[in-house]
Amino acid sequence: MPVVKLYANLRKLAGTKELSLAGQTVGMVVRGLVEQHPSIKDVVLEGSELRPHIIITLNGHNVTDLNISVSEQDVVAIFPPIAGG
Amino acid sequence: MNGWSGKILDIDLSTKTYKTYPLDMEMARMFIGGRGLGARLLWDLVGPGIDPLSPENVLIFTNGPLTGTGYQTSNRFSITTKSPLTGTVLDANSGGFWGMQFKKAGYDVMIVRGKSERPVWIEIKNEVITFHDASELWGMRVFALTEKLGQNNNKRNVLCIGPAGENLSRIAAIMNDRERAAARGGPGAVMGSKNLKAIVVEGKERTTINDPEKFKFLLYETRKLLAASPLTSQALPEFGTVVLMNIMNNIGALATRNHQQTQFEGAEAISGEELTEKYLVKNAACWACPIGCTRISKTEKVEAEGPEFESTWAFGAQCGIDDLPAIIEVNALCNDLGLDTISAGSTIACAMELSEKGYLDSDLRFGRADQLAPTVEAMAYRKDIGAELSDGSLRLATKYGHPELSMSAKGMEMPAYDPRGLQGQGLLYATSNRGGCHMRGNMIGLEVLGLPKLIDRFQVQGKSAFVILNQNSNAAIDSLVICKFTNMGVADEYFARVLGAVTGIQYATGELIKTGERVWNLERLYNNREGFTAKDDSLPPRLLTEAPTDGPSKGWVSQLEPMLKEYYRTRGWDQNGVPTLKKLADLGLANLVQE
Ligand code: SF4
Repeated sequence: MPVVKLYANLRKLAGTKELSLAGQTVGMVVRGLVEQHPSIKDVVLEGSELRPHIIITLNGHNVTDLNISVSEQDVVAIFPPIAGG
Repeated sequence: MNGWSGKILDIDLSTKTYKTYPLDMEMARMFIGGRGLGARLLWDLVGPGIDPLSPENVLIFTNGPLTGTGYQTSNRFSITTKSPLTGTVLDANSGGFWGMQFKKAGYDVMIVRGKSERPVWIEIKNEVITFHDASELWGMRVFALTEKLGQNNNKRNVLCIGPAGENLSRIAAIMNDRERAAARGGPGAVMGSKNLKAIVVEGKERTTINDPEKFKFLLYETRKLLAASPLTSQALPEFGTVVLMNIMNNIGALATRNHQQTQFEGAEAISGEELTEKYLVKNAACWACPIGCTRISKTEKVEAEGPEFESTWAFGAQCGIDDLPAIIEVNALCNDLGLDTISAGSTIACAMELSEKGYLDSDLRFGRADQLAPTVEAMAYRKDIGAELSDGSLRLATKYGHPELSMSAKGMEMPAYDPRGLQGQGLLYATSNRGGCHMRGNMIGLEVLGLPKLIDRFQVQGKSAFVILNQNSNAAIDSLVICKFTNMGVADEYFARVLGAVTGIQYATGELIKTGERVWNLERLYNNREGFTAKDDSLPPRLLTEAPTDGPSKGWVSQLEPMLKEYYRTRGWDQNGVPTLKKLADLGLANLVQE
């Protein structure tokens, strides 16, 4: 199963840094995540869409299309809004 | 007069005299304040060929029409000089409280010229300027000196140099309010070369506002926008800037071990999450800032401000070190000694690589957290190995025959973002007027964070337009002078409206950004006059030829050349990177080259 890594306040909300979740697309993985951890739903999703400024990477590449497919060894990283410089 | 105080304080340390005279309001309208006004004054005051550490160089302190008004983050000020590190125009700006107090003292600008025969400190209480003997203060570190001179955040504010500035380290910072730094490019060495230890200000004037009702409304609107933005209301206060560590590592753009790799296996251990969980005591904020991104951290040895992302990276990933307490401690040490953390960390990393490759005879090695504090201490005092590192990585690497191992642009050490995985950021470093720096514009918003929208970080064609817009907008914000983090929740358009409400001069958003463009071109002209050419718009060869062998940026090098050509064209410069007369005329700068 793809590995999902969580960052910043998503860790506290989900109570974990990392988990494995089934899903054939990034969108399915994200939906699986919020089902398993409803506490982070409002941070990540607005209805069925990603909230503004949520960053998702697939193996280190920014994801702009949630329909992109994922495979067993993939790493999906999810960041809440972050900033700095 | 509204917004501006309308007055310049001009101090000559050689004679311990000063005079005041009116600010040229046409100049103020064109360059606003801060960085812009500083660059315009430097153009007239420090001509080509002047040694930055000679009495002929000047320090120009500027605030802006918004400073001290209470507008969100209107606390900053700017220091302009000719950089002893790069030889370019330099402006370094800083937050805290000192800038607000300096404005309350009744001046828009303070020029400090000449050189005092003996150490001196200056006390400014509005129109009363006193020169004090600083012989007994010479040698003092920043924290103790700040306290001794009576720092009181809202009433009396201390700006000073530490031992690094006294010893003319070309990477020395000017510190204010204890732990705030105008850090980059060595302004602390310029202050040290003048034998000037500190400037203390106490003021009681209020900035007058042209349209108080409109100003009040915009203040309220801005507060609402900052509170509504998850970036300024949650992300920055909750995790501070160090939260960028994990994402930069995740995408393979975290420069590691002197840019030999683009991912650091110890990133998690030095991340914002780790800092917040284990070492954060509380948040703090600069004057009039509702964001409060500042962290107060504590280890067994210190309790101090920071560290910011760049400092954590410089002593962390760049040196191959994953010991967060050691990084917190060396960050505090740099502040106490008055050293730029980015340049200090990256210079140590350069020395580590030189030593590991056998070019430099020292025991410095990547991963050795125990070497950080003693090396920084030695750098500030120019002792032992520190004497070799005190003037930055390019001078060090050049001395030992390997200038290519200095991770710098125009001689200034670059920050954390590795340009091989961020094409726009590479162009930004190469064209930055003060050298490798992320504060003259930052492409991370666009290339990684999706602020305001995401663009392909590996894309080359068309990148220059984004970089230019970013640089111009940053130059405008630096001329206001406010904190760039405000811009994460509030659009440029608001700043133009606030500027109009405060000064009574109506600036359209486009005009404000054009002011930024004017400032950028003026800085470029200054560098050209100093002999800088297109050849200096460059990056270390490693970033142009050595592609990472793994990670998400695998196979990529910086595609600088095509981006640069496009950049010059889009800027309206000729192919040698010189602004055309047409461009200068459009910006109202033609008279400077036709004089
Ligand atoms: S956001 Fe941070 S750096 Fe900017 S003014 Fe506020 S506290 Fe200071």
